[in-house]
Amino acid sequence: MGIWGDLLLTSVFIAAVSLALFWMAAFTLWWQMHAWRTPEVLASTRFSRPDGGEHLSFSLLLPARHEQAVLDHTIQRLLESSHTDFEIIVIVGHDDPETTEVACEAAERDPRVRVVVDTHEKKNKPKAMNTALPHCRGDIVGVFDAEDQVHPELLAHVDHAFRSTGADVVQGGVQLINFHSSWYSLRNCLEYFFWFRSRLHLHAQKGFIPLGGNTVFVRTDVLRAADGWDPNCLAEDCDLGVRLSSIGKKVVVAYDSDMVTKEETPGSLMSLLKQRTRWNQGFLQVYRKKDWKQLPGFGQRLLARYTLMTPYLQAISGVIIPLNVAVALFLDVPVGIAFITFLPAVTAFVTFVFELVGLHDFGKQYGLRVRFVHYLKLIVGGPFYQVLLAGAAVRAVWREQRGQNDWELTSHVGAHLTDVEALEGTEATEAAAVANRGSREDVPA
Amino acid sequence: MTSTLPAVTTPKVPAQRTPVPHTGSTPRTTPSRLRTSRADLILCGVLLVVVMTVQGWNIADYPTLSDDEGTYLAQAWAVQQGEGLAHYTYWYDHPPLGWIQIALLTWIPAALSPESMTVGSMRIVMLLVSAISAILVYVLARRLWLPRWASGLAMLLFGLSPLSVVLQREIFLDNIAVMWTLVAFVLAASPSRHLWHHFGAGIAAAAAVLTKETMIFVLPAVLITMWRHSHKDTRKFAITGAVTACVLIGLSYPLFALLKGEFFPGAGHVSLWDGLEYQLTRPGSGFILDQGSGSYGVLQSWLYYDRVLPLGGLAGALLLLITWRWSVTARALAGPAFTVAILAVVALRPNGYLPAMYVIQALPFLALVLAGGAASVAHGVLRRWRDGEEKEYVTRARYAVAALLVAASAAYVVPRWYDGDRTAVTADANAPYRAASKWLATEVENPEDTRVLVDDALWLDLVHAGYRPGLGVIWFYKADLDPAVTKTMPRGWKDIDYVVASPTVRRDAVDLPNVKQAMEHSTPVATFGKGEDRIEIRQITGSTASATGTAGTAAGGDR
Repeated sequence: MGIWGDLLLTSVFIAAVSLALFWMAAFTLWWQMHAWRTPEVLASTRFSRPDGGEHLSFSLLLPARHEQAVLDHTIQRLLESSHTDFEIIVIVGHDDPETTEVACEAAERDPRVRVVVDTHEKKNKPKAMNTALPHCRGDIVGVFDAEDQVHPELLAHVDHAFRSTGADVVQGGVQLINFHSSWYSLRNCLEYFFWFRSRLHLHAQKGFIPLGGNTVFVRTDVLRAADGWDPNCLAEDCDLGVRLSSIGKKVVVAYDSDMVTKEETPGSLMSLLKQRTRWNQGFLQVYRKKDWKQLPGFGQRLLARYTLMTPYLQAISGVIIPLNVAVALFLDVPVGIAFITFLPAVTAFVTFVFELVGLHDFGKQYGLRVRFVHYLKLIVGGPFYQVLLAGAAVRAVWREQRGQNDWELTSHVGAHLTDVEALEGTEATEAAAVANRGSREDVPA
Repeated sequence: MTSTLPAVTTPKVPAQRTPVPHTGSTPRTTPSRLRTSRADLILCGVLLVVVMTVQGWNIADYPTLSDDEGTYLAQAWAVQQGEGLAHYTYWYDHPPLGWIQIALLTWIPAALSPESMTVGSMRIVMLLVSAISAILVYVLARRLWLPRWASGLAMLLFGLSPLSVVLQREIFLDNIAVMWTLVAFVLAASPSRHLWHHFGAGIAAAAAVLTKETMIFVLPAVLITMWRHSHKDTRKFAITGAVTACVLIGLSYPLFALLKGEFFPGAGHVSLWDGLEYQLTRPGSGFILDQGSGSYGVLQSWLYYDRVLPLGGLAGALLLLITWRWSVTARALAGPAFTVAILAVVALRPNGYLPAMYVIQALPFLALVLAGGAASVAHGVLRRWRDGEEKEYVTRARYAVAALLVAASAAYVVPRWYDGDRTAVTADANAPYRAASKWLATEVENPEDTRVLVDDALWLDLVHAGYRPGLGVIWFYKADLDPAVTKTMPRGWKDIDYVVASPTVRRDAVDLPNVKQAMEHSTPVATFGKGEDRIEIRQITGSTASATGTAGTAAGGDR
C-alpha cells in the first residue's frame, strides 16, 4: 500500500512538473516563432519604405568610455547617414582623456557632432545618457554604442516609422554577426536573431516590451517626461521599455536585415557570463520595481511577469527537463505518466529544430555561409549553453540577494551599483568596465 | 570590435522590402471566408444531409458484419473496460490509436447502454466520422481553388458512391485514418499559411499513420500540398515544423513499445519488431491485374460496387499528372492526384498483400480528382478561348456541349449508383448474425461456463449475453495462435463446447488445427441463412468440456 501510495504521489508530482514545463516551453516556442507565423506577419516586421519626406530631427546619443580605438569610425559612419537633420552627442567621462580627445577632434571637423562630459564619480551608461538628455535638441533621441555599425538609411526609415505609425518609441534591430567565432557566439547570434527578428515584435504587439540597449529611438518629450533612464538599474534599457509601455506609450519594432545595427559577441565565455548575469540581475530589478503592474491587461501583466522571470525559468527547466526524462526511463512509472514526462523534451526538441532552420535563415538573410559544422555546433553546444545560462541565472540571483541588503541600506543614495561591484573584489574593475561601457544589449531569452 | 563583413552591408533594399505577394496562383474564388460564406454553408449543409441519410439508413443491417469490425470494436471495448489495449495480448498488429478513438467515440453510448456495444449498433458512430470526412472533402476542394459546384460534386462523389457507402459504414480503422489525413491536407492548404496550421498538419498526419499505418504512403502528397500552399519566406519553417511534428508524434508508438520493454523481440513477450515483421512478410495476395490472384478478387469486389469512382478517379489523376504543365487545375490538385498515383503504384506491387479496405484511403482523393477533372473540362468547354465578342451561337454551342456532357454522365452514373445505394438502404445482410446471437443468448443454459469459438463480429454480443470474455467466448483463431489461450485448452477441441461457423470461420479453419478439429467433431444444432453465407452453431460432440474451471485466471496472458 505504501509503495503504491508513493508511486501515485511520485506520478502525480512528475506529471504536474512535466505539464508545467511543457506549457512554459510551448509558450516560449510560440512567441519565439511569432514573426514566421504567416508571411503577412513576417512582412509587417520590416520597416516600411520611406516616403522621402523627412520631418523629424534626431539627437543621437553615443556614450563612449575607453573606446578611442573605434569611436571615430563609428562617428564617421553615423555622419554618412542620408538623413538631413540630426546631431550626434558623444558622451565621455571626465576621467577618460583619450576618448575625449577623439570625440573633440570629431566635433571640430563636423558641426553636427557635440561632446558632453559626464562628471559622475561612479559612472554607468544610464547616468551618462541622463547627463546628455538636457542637451538634446532633436525631436527624437536615439541611442547607439561606440562600436556600432549603423546603416546610412536607418534614420530615414525610423523617421518614416515615427510619422506613419504615430509611435512614441521605435526599436530597430540589433544583430550579432560573428557566429563563426566560437560555439557560444553561434548560439548568442541566434538568440539575437530570434529576439529581434521575432519575439520583440510580439512584445510590441502585446503592448509590453523590454527595449534593447541601442538602435532605440524615443520621442524627446516622452523621454524627458519619464525622467530619462534609471541610473540604478542594471538593465536600464529594459526598464525604460517596461516603464514606457506600462503607461501606454506606443512602441514599434522593425527589423530589416539590411538595416540592423551589427555587433559582436563578448570576447570570452567569462565576459558573456558576466554580461548575462548583469542582464538577469537587471531583469530581476525591473521585476521588483513593479512598474509593469500598471499594465491594463491581465494577459499583459502575465506576459511581463513571465518575460522578466524568463532567465530563472530557463535555468530551472534546463536542469529539470533531462532529469524528468531520466525519471521516466528509469523509474517504474505507468506508461501514461511516462508519456507526459516526455512532453517538455518534445517541445525542447521542436525548439531545437526551429533553431537549426533559424540558423539557415540567418545565413541567408546576411549572406553568410553557414556550414554543416555550424549546425553540428549548434546542436552539440545546446546543452552547454543551457548550463551557461543556468550559471548566469544562479549567479544573478546570488548577487541580487547579496545586493538586496545593500539596496535597502543605500537605496536613497543610489549607490547600489558600486556596492555590488565592491563585493566582487578583483572583479570590480572588469565589472565596472562592462557596466560603464554599456556593452550591447538586451537579449534575455 | 568593428569588424564585420562588409559584403553584408551592401544594400539590396528592393529585394528585401517587397510587400507580401498574394497567393502564388490566382484563386478563382476566395476560399478564405468559407466559414462566413452563406452559399458554401448552405450547399455543404444540404449535401451533408443527403450523404448522411444514404449512409445512415439501414447502417446496421448492410453490409455484412465483418470480422475486422468485430476485432476493433472489441478492442475498443477492452480499452473502455480498462483492460489495456485488447482483451487478448496486444501484439503490435496495428498501432492502437485507431481503436482508442473508437473507444472514445462509443464511450457515451456504451455508458448509457452497455448492450449497445455491438458491431451493428455501433456502426452509428462511423456516421460521425463520415460526416467529418465529407465536410473536410468540401473544405479541401475549396482550399484547392475548386469552384463551389465542383467542391459539392467532390463531396457527393465521396459520400454517395456505393463503394463509399458500403465501406464507410463499417468500423474500419481506415475510415478514421482517412479523416485525419483529410485534416492534414486541409491544414496544409490553409489559406492563411499559418506556421502552426502547418505544424498541426504534421500532427494530424501522424495521427493518421498511428490510426492505420498504411497512411504513411500518403505523407509525401501532404508535403507537396503544403509546399505549394506555403509562402517562400516562411516555407522552411512551416515544412520543417510539420515534418518534425509528424516524426515526433509518430515516434510515440516505438516509444510506447520501448517503455513497456516490448520493442525488441524476446522470449515470452510480444514485440513491436515481431509485429512489423509479421506485417511486412505477410503472404502476398498476388498481382492485382493477374486474374485468379487474391488481389484481383479484391479489385473485382470494389468494382462490383462502383466503377465510376475508382476507375474514373484513377483516369482523372493520370490526366492531371500529365497536364501538370498546362493546367491550373492540375497544379492545384497536385496533392490529391499524387495521393491517388502513389496508392495505385503501391497496389500494383507484383506480390504485395492487398487488403479489402485498401481502397478506403483513396476514396476522398479519387473524388477530388474526379471533381477537379470535371471542373477542368467545364472550364475548357465554357470558358476557354472565349472573349467579349464571341458570337452568340458559339456560346450556345458551348452550353449545349456542356449540357450534353452532364446528361451523358448522369445517364451513366445515376442508374448504377441508384441501384447500389438502394441495396444499401434496404437490404438486410445481417439477419443470420442476429439470429445466431439471439440463439446463443437464449438457448444455451450456462453461458458463463460455456466455451465458444466465434468470429470477432459476434464476440461482443456473446459477452453481453453472459459468456466470459476472452476464454469463455473466444476469437476462434486465438485457439490456435495465442499461447495464453491454447494453454487453457490442454485437450484441444475437447475443451470447447460450441463453434459458431460463420463464413469467415469456415474460410480460415483450414489453417487452424484446433478450429478445424472442433469443426470436424461437431454437429450443427442451429443454422441461419443459406448457402455460402449461412451461420451454423455447431455443438462439439463426444466430450463435455464445460466448466473445467482451469481457464479463469489467465485471461490476457502475460500482459
